[in-house]
Amino acid sequence: MHRFLRLSVLLLGLFAAASYAADAPPPALTTEDDLGPAIEQPIEFPHFRHAGDADKGGMEINCMYCHTYARRSMVSGIPPIQKCIGCHQSIESVRETPRIKKLFEYWDAKKAIPWKKVHDLPDYVRFSHERHIKRFIFQLNRPVQEVCGYCHGNVKEMKVARRSKLLSMGWCVSCHEKEHPVTAEGGTPIGDQAYWYGMHKPLVDASGIIKAKGPNDCSVCHK
Amino acid sequence: MNSGSIKHLIKPLAIRLSEQTTLAKSLVMVGHPFDRRDFLKVLGWGGAAVALSGCGNGSVEDGKETVVSYVETNDYMIPSISVYFNSTCAQCDAGCSITGRIREGRVLKLEGNPDSAINRGKTCGLGQAGVQHHYNPDRVRAPLLRTGNSGEAITWEKAYALIAEKMNGVSGEEVAFLSGGVSGHLKVLLGNYLDSFGCKNHFVYEAVGPAVLRAANKKSYGVEMPRFNINKAKVVLSFGADFLGAWVSPVHFSQQYAQFRKGVDGQRGVLIQVESKMTLTGANADRWLVVRPGTEGILALGIINALGAHGVTLSGDIAAAVKGYDKERVSKDTGVSAEQIDKIVALLKERTPSLVLVGSAAEGYAHGSQNAAAINLLNQVLGNVGKTVEAAAVVPFPQMAPLTGNTAALKTLNDGLAAGKYKVLFSYAANPVFTAPGAMKFPDNMAKAGFKVVFAHYMDETAMQADLVLPLDSALEDWGTQVPEYMAEGAQINIQQPLMEKLHAETRGMGDILLALIKLRRAEDYKKYDDYYAYLRAAMLQNKNALGGGADDDTFWTETLSKGIIKVAGTKQILSGKVSAAGLSLPTPAAIDAQYPLQLIPSVNASLRDGRHTNQPWLQESPDPLTTIVWDSWVEIHPKKAAELGIVEGDIVEVTGKNGSLKAQAYLFPGIHPDAISIPLGRGHEALGRYAKGYGVNPFQILDTVFDKETGELALHETRVKVSKTGSRVIVVKDEGPVGGKQMGKKIAVRVASDKVKLSEEV
Repeated sequence: MHRFLRLSVLLLGLFAAASYAADAPPPALTTEDDLGPAIEQPIEFPHFRHAGDADKGGMEINCMYCHTYARRSMVSGIPPIQKCIGCHQSIESVRETPRIKKLFEYWDAKKAIPWKKVHDLPDYVRFSHERHIKRFIFQLNRPVQEVCGYCHGNVKEMKVARRSKLLSMGWCVSCHEKEHPVTAEGGTPIGDQAYWYGMHKPLVDASGIIKAKGPNDCSVCHK
Repeated sequence: MNSGSIKHLIKPLAIRLSEQTTLAKSLVMVGHPFDRRDFLKVLGWGGAAVALSGCGNGSVEDGKETVVSYVETNDYMIPSISVYFNSTCAQCDAGCSITGRIREGRVLKLEGNPDSAINRGKTCGLGQAGVQHHYNPDRVRAPLLRTGNSGEAITWEKAYALIAEKMNGVSGEEVAFLSGGVSGHLKVLLGNYLDSFGCKNHFVYEAVGPAVLRAANKKSYGVEMPRFNINKAKVVLSFGADFLGAWVSPVHFSQQYAQFRKGVDGQRGVLIQVESKMTLTGANADRWLVVRPGTEGILALGIINALGAHGVTLSGDIAAAVKGYDKERVSKDTGVSAEQIDKIVALLKERTPSLVLVGSAAEGYAHGSQNAAAINLLNQVLGNVGKTVEAAAVVPFPQMAPLTGNTAALKTLNDGLAAGKYKVLFSYAANPVFTAPGAMKFPDNMAKAGFKVVFAHYMDETAMQADLVLPLDSALEDWGTQVPEYMAEGAQINIQQPLMEKLHAETRGMGDILLALIKLRRAEDYKKYDDYYAYLRAAMLQNKNALGGGADDDTFWTETLSKGIIKVAGTKQILSGKVSAAGLSLPTPAAIDAQYPLQLIPSVNASLRDGRHTNQPWLQESPDPLTTIVWDSWVEIHPKKAAELGIVEGDIVEVTGKNGSLKAQAYLFPGIHPDAISIPLGRGHEALGRYAKGYGVNPFQILDTVFDKETGELALHETRVKVSKTGSRVIVVKDEGPVGGKQMGKKIAVRVASDKVKLSEEV
C-alpha cells in the first residue's frame, strides 16, 4: 500500500512539474526581433568603431577579418588576442585608453580574455556558419554585413554586441521556408546543388529567377 | 558485488530526478527507498514529461557561458576543425602507433596509425580507452609527502631536495629501482641515473609478461622473441596463446589471423587451440581441446611421438625424448582422446607450414619452461623454424632495446627488502602491492625500506605505501621513444609526443623527473638539456644519419614527429636451426589433492590485463568477451563440477587456497576443465580510483608462491583451491541472454560435437 502511494505521489509531482513547464508556447514561425539582455564583457569592445560606416566614424572593417573562422568552420570564433595586437601595436593614438591598456595587460600576461557568449544555441543544435556564409556571401554575392546581420542584427551600430534576434527553432525555420534565389543576380549559378536545399525542384518565378527553400530536414540541424 | 554496478547506474539518475521535482526530492530525502523497478518506471514517465516541457524558446542562455579565445594561434588551428598528431599507445607494451584527433586543443579520440607495421591503422579496446587514462579524475595532481596516514602536497623543489637528502650517504647497493618494461631513451636515461651512484639494483617487473616463453625461445631458437607468421601458416596449433586477446601483440596478430583465415594458396587456415580455460582465441578456433592443466608439454611430446609413428623423421635425441609418450599414456595424462591426437597429427602432416605457439597457459607451472621447450620442439620437428617462426628485425641501437620484465625480478627484490637491504626504493610503472601474491608479503617487506618513492599516475596500492608520490604526466602529455619487444616486419622506433597541453600544472614527465634527478648527481654532463624534450631531440639528431634523416636538423625532426614512427634498417638476428631435446623431462600430472581439489587459473582479460588500467570505466563497462560480465569478478566453473557442488549461476562462492580465500559470484562455463576454476585478473583494487576500488576480487592475493624451476618465474597457474557455497546469491550482471539460448526456434548455428568434425575435409 505504501509502495502504491509513494508511486502515485511521485507520478503526480512529475506531471505537475511537467505541465508547469509545458505552459511555454510551442515554437511559432516568427521573424520578429527579440532583444537579448545586455551582457557585461571583460572589455567593452566597440563594434561600431571597427565595423561601422565611415561617415559615422567607423572603419568599415569586414566582419570576417576578425571573425575569420566563420567561413571556414562551424563556429565564427572569437579572434585571438594576437589579431587585436597586430593592428593596435601600431595605433599610438589610442594606446593609452583604458580599454586598450586592458587589452595589452591580457596580451603581456599571455592570458586569454574570458568573453561571455552572446549568441548561444542549445548543444543539440548544429549550426554551421560556413554553410550560411558560402551560400549568401560567396554564392549570392550579398554584402557581408547584411548576411551576418540576418542572425546577429545590426552589429556595426552596437558597442558590445547584444543578441537582437530570437534564434529559436521557429525563427530559424521562418527563414528556411522562404524561397531564396538560387542564382545570384547576374552572379554565380549554383546548379544542381539547389535541389538539395529544399529536397524538391526549385521554382522559376515570372522574372525567370530560380528560387529554392533552405533545407528543412530535422537531421540538418539535429545530428 | 553487482550492487556496485546498480548503485553506479542509479546515482546520477537520482540526482537528475531530484532536480526536476521538489516533491520527488523530498521523497528521496525522507529516505523511503524505492524498489529499483518502480524507480525506473517512474523515471521513464519523467522522461516523457520532460520531453513535453522541453520545447520552449527559453533554452538559450545569453551571457552565461564563457567563450575563451586563443591568445596566439597557429594557422592550422581553426575552432571546430580537428587536427591530428601521431604518437604511440602506452596502454600495453605492444607499441601500436596511434593518431590522436585534437579539437580546440583537446584530444578527443585515438585511432591507429596506418603507417605502423605493428597495428596498421587499428587499435584495440584497451588502446581506445587511452583517453580515459588521460582525463581520469583520479590522477595524482601534485607531489605528495606522507605525514602520518595522509599525504601533504609539496612543491617539486622540495620533493627533489628530499630525495637528495635521503640519498645522501646511501650507497648504490642500498637503493633499489623497480620498474615496468622500459625501452628507448627513457631506458638510457634511467640506466645513466642508476650508474651515477653505482646502483645495479634495477628490477624490471611485469606481472603477466611472457617471461618463461622468452627464456624457452632463447633456448629453442636463439632469440627471445622471434616473429610468428600466423598469416603464412596453414595450421596454427596454439597451446593457450591468446593471440587475439592479450598475448604479446594482439592487434598485430588479429590482422595476421584475418589473412590466415583468408588462406594461403586458397587453403583457409585451421586453428586448433589447446588449453584448460577457453580464451577469446580458443573461442575462435576451429577445434578447441580442453587439456588437463599443466599437461600441455606432455601433449606436445605425444604429438611428436605420433608424428614419428606417421613417418616424420625424428632425430635420435628427439625420438629418445618422446619414446615413452605413446598415445594411450598421453591420452590418459592429458584428457585428450587418442582419436583427437590422430586428427591433429593428420592435419599437421597434411598441411605445411604450420605454426605452434606457446601461451601463458602452458608457461604458468613449476615445469613451465619444460612445457614451453616441449612445445617449441614441435615447431622444430615440423620444420616451421625459418618459415613461420622467423628471426625478427632488431633496432641497431642496443642501448634502446626494451628491458622486458618478469616476476623473478620481483622475487629478488622482495627477498632483498625482507632482508632489509635497501634504504631507498623507487617504483615506476609497476604496482607490486596489488600484483604480488599475498604470500610474498610484499607490502610488509616494502615497509622495511627507509624511504619509498613512487612515480604514479593514480594513487594505486603501491603509491599508498609510499613516503613520496611523484605525479606523472599522462601518456598523451609526455615525450618519449619506445622500441617494441615484438617487432613486426621491419625495425621501428616509436615516437611518443604530447597530443595536448598538460591538464594539471604539477605533473611531470618521467623523463623530466629522471633528468632533474640525474642533474643532482652529474650536473655538468646534463646542464645543456633544459628538459627531457631537449635531451630527446639532441639524442635523436646525434644519430640522424643512422635514423635515415638526410635533411637538415629541423626538417628531420619535424618529419619524425609528424610520422610518429622511425623505420630503420634493422639488423637481422639468426635463428639457431638445430635443437636438442636433451634435458627435457616432464612430470607426470600430480594426483588430485583431496583438500584442494581444483586448479585456479587466474585469467588475463584483454582489457584489464594486470589491473593497471582498471580505473578506466570503459574497460570496466566493456563486457568480457566470453562471459559478457561487466564491473565485477566471477568464478568460472564447469557445469558438471557445479552440479556436483550444487552451485548455480550467481551463487556467491568462497574460493579457498593455502594462502587465503576470496568470495565472488559463480559463472557456469563449459569452456573450462572440470578440475579447474578461473578468476580474471585486474579487479579487486583497494585503491587506484573511483572506478576500480571495491569492484570484484583480486586473485593475485591468494596465489601459491610456486616458481618455475628453470627461470624462477612465478607459476601463475599452480594454485590449488577448493570451492564452497556461502549461501547468498546475486543476479550476474552480464550482456548475454540465457546460456544455450533457443535461437528463437531457428537453427542459426548448429551445434556439432567437436569429435564429429573432420576439419581436414571441411575447411
